[in-house]
Amino acid sequence: MARPVVKKEFSLSDRVYLIEIIKGLGLTWKHFLFNFRACFRPGPHTVPTCWQYPEDLREIAPIFRGAHMLLLDEKGREKCVGCGMCARACPAKCITVKRGKVQEGEEGKYAGKTYCAEFKIDMLRCIFCGFCEEACPKGAIVLGQEYELAEYTPEKCLYDKARLLANYEKAKSEGKLKPARKPVPVEAPPPKAAPKSKPKAAAKKVKEKEGTKQA
Amino acid sequence: MEGWGIIIIKIVFIWTWTLLIATLMTWIERRGAGLIQDRLGPNRAGPFGIFQPLADGIKLFTKEDIVPEKAHKILFALGPILFALPAFSAYAVVPFGDKIVLGGKEIILQVADVSVGFLYIVAIGSMSVYGIVLGGWGSNNKYSILGGLRSTAQLISYEVPWGLALLAAVLLYGTFSLRDMAFAQQGVFLGFLPNWGIFKQPLGFILFMVAAYAEANRVPFDLPEAESEIVAGYHTEYGSMRLGLYLFGEYVNIYTLSALIVTLYFGAWNLPYVDMSKFLGPVAYGLASFLVFFLKVAFFLWLFVWVRWTVPRFRYDQVMGLGWKSLIPLALINLFITALFVQFTA
Amino acid sequence: MVQEPNGPVVSGSGDYVTINIGPSHPAMHGTLRVIAQTDGETVIKADPEIGYLHRGVEKLGENLTYHQFIPITDRLNYCSAIANNVSYERAVEKLMGIEIPVKAQLVRVIMMELARIADHQVCVGILGVDLGAFTPFFYQIIQREEIYEVFEWYNGARLTNTFGRIGGLDADLPEKFAEKWPGLKDGIRKANDETDKLLTHNRIWMDRTIGVNPFSPEDALSWGFTGPCLRACGVKRDMRKNEPYYLYDQFDFDVPTGKNGDVFDRYMVRLKEMEESIKIIDQAYRMYLEMPEDAPLKAKVPKIIKPPAGEVYSAIESPNGELGFFIKSDGSDKPYRIKIRPPCYMIYQAFPEMVEGEMIADLIACLSSLNIIAGELDR
Repeated sequence: MARPVVKKEFSLSDRVYLIEIIKGLGLTWKHFLFNFRACFRPGPHTVPTCWQYPEDLREIAPIFRGAHMLLLDEKGREKCVGCGMCARACPAKCITVKRGKVQEGEEGKYAGKTYCAEFKIDMLRCIFCGFCEEACPKGAIVLGQEYELAEYTPEKCLYDKARLLANYEKAKSEGKLKPARKPVPVEAPPPKAAPKSKPKAAAKKVKEKEGTKQA
Repeated sequence: MEGWGIIIIKIVFIWTWTLLIATLMTWIERRGAGLIQDRLGPNRAGPFGIFQPLADGIKLFTKEDIVPEKAHKILFALGPILFALPAFSAYAVVPFGDKIVLGGKEIILQVADVSVGFLYIVAIGSMSVYGIVLGGWGSNNKYSILGGLRSTAQLISYEVPWGLALLAAVLLYGTFSLRDMAFAQQGVFLGFLPNWGIFKQPLGFILFMVAAYAEANRVPFDLPEAESEIVAGYHTEYGSMRLGLYLFGEYVNIYTLSALIVTLYFGAWNLPYVDMSKFLGPVAYGLASFLVFFLKVAFFLWLFVWVRWTVPRFRYDQVMGLGWKSLIPLALINLFITALFVQFTA
Repeated sequence: MVQEPNGPVVSGSGDYVTINIGPSHPAMHGTLRVIAQTDGETVIKADPEIGYLHRGVEKLGENLTYHQFIPITDRLNYCSAIANNVSYERAVEKLMGIEIPVKAQLVRVIMMELARIADHQVCVGILGVDLGAFTPFFYQIIQREEIYEVFEWYNGARLTNTFGRIGGLDADLPEKFAEKWPGLKDGIRKANDETDKLLTHNRIWMDRTIGVNPFSPEDALSWGFTGPCLRACGVKRDMRKNEPYYLYDQFDFDVPTGKNGDVFDRYMVRLKEMEESIKIIDQAYRMYLEMPEDAPLKAKVPKIIKPPAGEVYSAIESPNGELGFFIKSDGSDKPYRIKIRPPCYMIYQAFPEMVEGEMIADLIACLSSLNIIAGELDR
């Protein structure tokens, strides 16, 4: 084992411990003064970098991936058709869906011809990846902004359909509904549409680069 | 001579006062740390969280007292007591003000003006190491014993420069009594500086300061309880009020050391250029001297906190190296220079 | 019963004490464990024991579809989940022979570099905490929160991002980025500057770090070091420069190196790399803005990913070093085998050699400067 021998070279001001320590004290003092003044400001959010949790909540991104909800459409009908795509996409396998046929006279309740007779999400298993939301062909399941999900019993963490719909009602009343997901522009299949979607010079560059890479 | 009654009142007063400051210090430390680190610190209990120490105290008192099965029961119990006791008793000879005249009786603001106050401080100061090493040994835990051993080596090493710096001060003031040292710092030095020890003993002050940080086990010398290395050092196995005693003891230690620094180097209760006793009544002067002394001490208390949240920690061998290779030679030089100074100015 | 370190116990005179550091210890990041035989304060022999955070990630991969494995990669190096995501996605794309669109590459570069900064911030901060300086950690972590805010506005998660999809991205760069980036940049620089002021020239810090666990470049290479730990030894090797991917060959940036490979060099390399990352992001963002609004972000990929049978190894420069994924496909929608090459694993192997003869405090400093992430190490 050949360990390099390290020669320590200190400048004179390094050699005396105190100078740098005093500089450091100056720096921490600046922070202290700033925060000391700030903590007399009115309101719960005083020091700019510190949120006082229950009173003073951070602004959450509207696309935050929190507790799930099942959406209703404009007419108040359930969007979910119970196809089970979400259950299949889920990496944690925490969704259970049972499909039911919409009976006569119930068309006002459900948007599709089928509906989910049972919809369960085990929040103890959920990893909040948002794949269910992405997989859903109807845009019926969405991860909301709710993040205070602690419960006293594991049974309560097993969200059923009623709970998921209640989540939607709550988010709607608070105006925290998620904006519709913007679909990502997908590259058109190479043979025909390439020049159309990619304007001029940039596209050419792209092609060149791709060409060099593949080669 | 003062009567027994007055002495007991003074003892009770300084006891409660030190405890109060120590408890407050736990809050100041956490709040100060918070503000230095761009956060808030405890601010829920009471206005600005000032009752946080109370809550902590209640918590410590009501927690289950756990003694590890394989611990040495007697030493384990003795540790915190032996740590806290010297911390509390050391303050007996440190003044906390000049004097106050009440009902025609002159009361000096010091529990005992012992003529060998200096020796008492050194003797009592070295006692606290027993608490740490016994606690560390009694816990029967490898981290604890490491912490205890580190602390033993560190305290013994730093007692030497500490004592030497004190000795230089003794040479300068020509007395062992801390009260007389305070009196020696009245007036002006060189015509324009306050006659404070710091101006006569700048090197001695720095040495004393550094050694004081080491004695109090504070950052950058907090090796005995270095959190990231040996979990919590000597008090790893302690909980409830036994831990509380260790923590209080530390802050009481800090208070005593700060008071010592002020007494030795910052003119005790004397204001620069102003002689308070000339224009203040006897009672007002007593209170004012207490206040001035306390404000100076408060600054050093804050400095302990401030430094803690600024600098990293030494390594064990570096602490030893600094103590033996730098501080002790410097302290000896300082002593020598002081001796020359005293010889030629006397 | 006391567990002794593996291998021959050091013989000779003297009483040695075996200390169990971890798996639950303030300085063991995650659940690492080091069984150290010590002579007083000196470590004679250190035996790291791994596996306390083993979750069977590789086996999990065999039972999940290609897409479903992306969230699992978040949990490898949780300090910079995005780098893991991208590395995995790149491997699958290579297996399928897909080249993702340029705009997607740019966004990936920007997000990856942000993740690199976040990772280095944690590492530098934690190194300070382990050496007793608490305050720089908070200055760094506050800026990391700001970075996480960008991540949150990107696709809704702060730590486990599940960034990107096979063949491209799941979202465009958020509008918030344009408004946040200048401030964020200044904030990161300010935090670095403050860390620098508080630590770098402080004699205590220099004593604690310079010359502690130095490592020679030959040793580092033969142990398979990558990333900042290798560059600290003086080897100028960076996947972004040496085997460029994702337009990295078009950015102008330096590869900071150290000299001795000691704790101080690792710390400095990380500090400097953050600055380089800022440079890269600036350039990438400029190029991103030049791209048309509706430029594709995702290559044409089938809905169910079924790569052709074959094997692939692809690696990127993750914040810790070369993070590689080996994927063997049998043509079905689930990988036949996934093997992850985490940088920590190779670095951690040299750990016993590095700390032998040093003190306990140096062992801690060494461990945090190597930035061993248990999630990545044990997988």
